[in-house]
Amino acid sequence: MKINLNRLTILSTCLAILALVLAPAAIAAPGAWSSEPVRIVVTFPPGGTSDLVARLLAQHLDADFGQKAVVDNRPGAAGTVAADYVSRQAPDGTTLILSNNAPFTISPTRFKSIPYKPLAGFSHIAYIGASAPGLFVKPATGINTLKEYVIHVKNSPMTYGSSGVGSISHILGEAVDAAVGVKSIHVPYKGSSPAIQDFRAGVLDSFYDMVVQNSDMIEDKEAVAIAIASPERNPEVPGVPTFREQGYDIVIENWVGISGPAGIKPDMVNKIHDTVLAVFASPKVQARLTELGITHTAMSTQEYTSLVADLIDVWAPLIRSAGIAE
Amino acid sequence: MDILASFGQGLLVVLQPENLMYCFIGVFLGTFIGVLPGIGSMAAIALILPLTFYLDPTPALVMIAAVFYGAEYGGSTASILMNLPGTPAASITAIEGYPLAKKGRAGVALFSTAMASFGGGMIGLVVIIVLSPSLAKLALSFGPADYFSVILLGLVAASAVSNSGALKGIAIMVTGLMLGTIGIDLTTGVLRFTMGIPELRDGVHIVIVAMGLFGVSELIASIRANIGGKATQTIDYNDFYPSKQEWKSLFAPILRGGTIGSFFGALPGTGQTIAAAIAYAVEKRVSPQREKFGTGVLPGVAVPEAANNSATQTAFIPTLTLGVPGSPPMAIVIGALMIYGITPGPRLLVEQPDMFWGLVASFLVGNIMLLILNVPLIGLWVRLLKIPYKYMYPTIIVLVCMGVYSLNNNVFDIWLTLVIGAVGYIMRLFRFEPAPLLLGFVLGPLMEEQLRRSMLLSRGDPMVFLERPISATLIAVTAGILIFALYTTELNRRRARAARNKIQQEITTK
Repeated sequence: MKINLNRLTILSTCLAILALVLAPAAIAAPGAWSSEPVRIVVTFPPGGTSDLVARLLAQHLDADFGQKAVVDNRPGAAGTVAADYVSRQAPDGTTLILSNNAPFTISPTRFKSIPYKPLAGFSHIAYIGASAPGLFVKPATGINTLKEYVIHVKNSPMTYGSSGVGSISHILGEAVDAAVGVKSIHVPYKGSSPAIQDFRAGVLDSFYDMVVQNSDMIEDKEAVAIAIASPERNPEVPGVPTFREQGYDIVIENWVGISGPAGIKPDMVNKIHDTVLAVFASPKVQARLTELGITHTAMSTQEYTSLVADLIDVWAPLIRSAGIAE
Repeated sequence: MDILASFGQGLLVVLQPENLMYCFIGVFLGTFIGVLPGIGSMAAIALILPLTFYLDPTPALVMIAAVFYGAEYGGSTASILMNLPGTPAASITAIEGYPLAKKGRAGVALFSTAMASFGGGMIGLVVIIVLSPSLAKLALSFGPADYFSVILLGLVAASAVSNSGALKGIAIMVTGLMLGTIGIDLTTGVLRFTMGIPELRDGVHIVIVAMGLFGVSELIASIRANIGGKATQTIDYNDFYPSKQEWKSLFAPILRGGTIGSFFGALPGTGQTIAAAIAYAVEKRVSPQREKFGTGVLPGVAVPEAANNSATQTAFIPTLTLGVPGSPPMAIVIGALMIYGITPGPRLLVEQPDMFWGLVASFLVGNIMLLILNVPLIGLWVRLLKIPYKYMYPTIIVLVCMGVYSLNNNVFDIWLTLVIGAVGYIMRLFRFEPAPLLLGFVLGPLMEEQLRRSMLLSRGDPMVFLERPISATLIAVTAGILIFALYTTELNRRRARAARNKIQQEITTK
């Protein structure tokens, strides 16, 4: 099976050229777009990566551009609670959501019905960046490359830990299983740290999790990182090869961006887009993002919107094969 | 002395001004909320939780813990002065404390409570310092099967010794287990028992169940009982210190209470209430003053207080070293740690030594603060309790609603709390204790998670629970407790029947 998220790169490049030709005037100066404080709704409880990104953005919107912003955590039901809430707010730029996979690309396929429309119900404004998960195995197995892993699991299936059913690590596990043609034993956990704890206690043969966040374990030789699911190697962990360079075209990333309810005026969309990008253009802010394991990429509003649309289609078969769709 | 050095390191952490300040705030707010009738330590922690999101993990944890034992402490004040336990555990203290207050000895009772709490706390502290590192070392090799058996032991032990009898206790615990299955199933992602309500997809939050079951139902019960304004006792500060003889009579009970409390606190699931109840029951049998129990004796106040305070502290042992909550409020502590990306478990001691030992050292500091704070502040708490209930209860309900709403910013949660409160009140009418329900609710999902994980890893072979030595031992102990509890229940029933028959016979022969 070939999983190629990258046709969207081609698509988005075309769109970008189109956008450059058609709308050179649509570049707004970054700055405050509302006199009222903006609420950035986060689909997770405080403390996680998404929440930290939202807080970083809120802090710098205020400090660098005088746009007051607060973070509003509305966790629940795989992000659908927050997305439903935001889609029903006034499109005046004062309520935004830190968009990510859960409510926009996973839940639409996973649940029979969701109370909002992931594309028509939102203005997807600005892409922020992504972090990539990877495959880790026990050093005792002696496996170091994807090739060796495939040979091993074809003989005897391994157990693997994930951060939960329907999490990005589970979906990557299913994608690898499908590409290799084996059925591994999936052991779901509530988040990645209990999974890693059991991995260290020798309970699990392997696990999938974000690679950069686990660089300590790689350095301490507590786990062998077999492959990362990003399109290219991550400079933070240069020693970890990609799935793609080892002959398996698997690219699955956890991305974050900024969206708002549908119907925000184009001028304001541009202003928000440019201000958010200006925040993340600062080297200091980018360094903090890198610490969180997120690689920043600048994208236009159109590129981001088509990315979300594309990802829904790309993820759908993965979610169905993971057996978590209602 | 590795352990002492670590503890010293912890003291340095907690003596930083920031941590000291949050410890003080926690102790004060905890006592304040604990004094208020109806809302106990669970509610106190839930109310304080949103504030801690803005702190570093160590001061946050220090403050949450301080609120917890502060509330347990405050609960005893209301129960002694007004026979109105601020927390469930304090109801045991009221048995002897309230008669003492009626005799005009409220001051001595409160002072003994303070000393007993402090003594019990110190015993608990020693147990934590000695036990935690070795338990954490053992737990490094714990697999899912071992975790399952630990939780099973905690659940059975806690429900089998509940006041309403083994059968009723287990039945209500199983109800809690069922309540805990609501939401997305962890292993398959299937929605269970959500009845199409999107708010139930993530299950019911523990604070909602706790506030409904204990807070709201307690308030309904108090309104119906129409008690109020009884706090007319004035505290005579001249009669504050126990006499020399009384001092002596307190020493052994505090030691016994603290030891029993440490044991039940460290057992997963069984919390302060059970510890206090058992310590009181034991004392009633062994005390030299046992004939006077029930009429207001000082050791009867000291024992449950020592037990509940030491249990409050040792509850942190399984919570932090295994990640299995030692009592229901500890589930909130685990949740709070997760928010900071810290997973409680055997590696916590190694990875977060400053946090762990700082927390342990804060127990010492916090208990000293409680002692210093509460002797002069008793007057303030008494005045707080004199507020007419027509003002107090609405205020408490508002506090409960605020606490619940702050969890997810969701109004549905408030309604759910009120519904659970009504159910809790009905349970009270039929003499079902709510504590095992909460316990089943907290530990059930954790137990299911480990059970299914063990079965996945063993490829479906249930023998895994008996093949691992740790798990097998725990299962044997569990079976023993269960048989013993059912046996004594049956024995009590037979005795009661025999006594009834005898009385009937006497009546007929007359």
